[in-house]
Amino acid sequence: MRLWRVAAIVAAGAFLGLAWNAFGGRGIALSGNAYIKPGEDVVEIDAAEAKKRLDKGALFLDARPVAFYEMGHVPGALPLPEDDFDRAFTRLEPRLRNTLDIVVYCSGYGCEASHIVARKLREKGIHAAILHEGWPAWTDAGYRTKEGKEP
Amino acid sequence: MRALRHPAVHWLLGIALGAVFIYASIDKIEQPREFARIVYHYRLIGPTAALGFVLANTLAVTLPWIEALTGLLLIVGVWRREAALTAALLLVMFLVAVGWALAHGIDVENCGCFSVSGEGRAAGAKLILQDLGLLAVALVLAFVPPRAREVARVNERVRYAAPGATSK
Repeated sequence: MRLWRVAAIVAAGAFLGLAWNAFGGRGIALSGNAYIKPGEDVVEIDAAEAKKRLDKGALFLDARPVAFYEMGHVPGALPLPEDDFDRAFTRLEPRLRNTLDIVVYCSGYGCEASHIVARKLREKGIHAAILHEGWPAWTDAGYRTKEGKEP
Repeated sequence: MRALRHPAVHWLLGIALGAVFIYASIDKIEQPREFARIVYHYRLIGPTAALGFVLANTLAVTLPWIEALTGLLLIVGVWRREAALTAALLLVMFLVAVGWALAHGIDVENCGCFSVSGEGRAAGAKLILQDLGLLAVALVLAFVPPRAREVARVNERVRYAAPGATSK
């Protein structure tokens, strides 16, 4: 048994992998988020899919102004209001970067806040899906909500 | 135990283990983005705020090729013992990853073992048994020398020890 050969196998395999990634034509950016495909549009999901993701531990972000959040929000959701994005983002950044599945919602019926928040997150390399029709879709489906400042 | 040292058994085990490793690498080589997402799911090496995605992505693009190369060497029988040890180390790594996921209650829907598509197998007890089985094969190939090799080694020793032979 020659241990240097084991090291050589690993090194050669790693080299091949990096070379293939660089020149094989379907490589990924090593520092990028594999959830974000270049040119891929924002993903919109419906309430049922959102509920499924919530049950699996997805992180929900409430893009509406904080006052609306306090009146009622998806249980577990954190406030990331579009009108106060930078401050809220700084506070949430570590958590967001450690979360794979993020869903953003806003007031629904053509509200823009969730799209703006999702776009800003994308610019920072964080992928978030958007709950289509937002808050009303959630309440219309009869899913649980929560009042107050606590998530 | 005697049967395990038969050269033909080694030859067969090498081909079988090699085939498993090559088969496991194909889907991941074809779809690095999907495999990277599976690596994220384990939450073992990121992505984290400190490390970003680099570590997980680098593993995702290099691991399948290390598997493929290991499998190829096992099949053709070049550096077979070292390739088997590499396979054993990889399997230990997989076991650690699956154990980690189970211990932390992370629901790894698709273990990323053979396929990166959604219909893959979940990481669970069955997977651990499968990895342990493969690990046993790899360890036999790495540490139980086939008889022919043993004979050659004894001959070598005898030659060195023979009176009149020049010592090294």
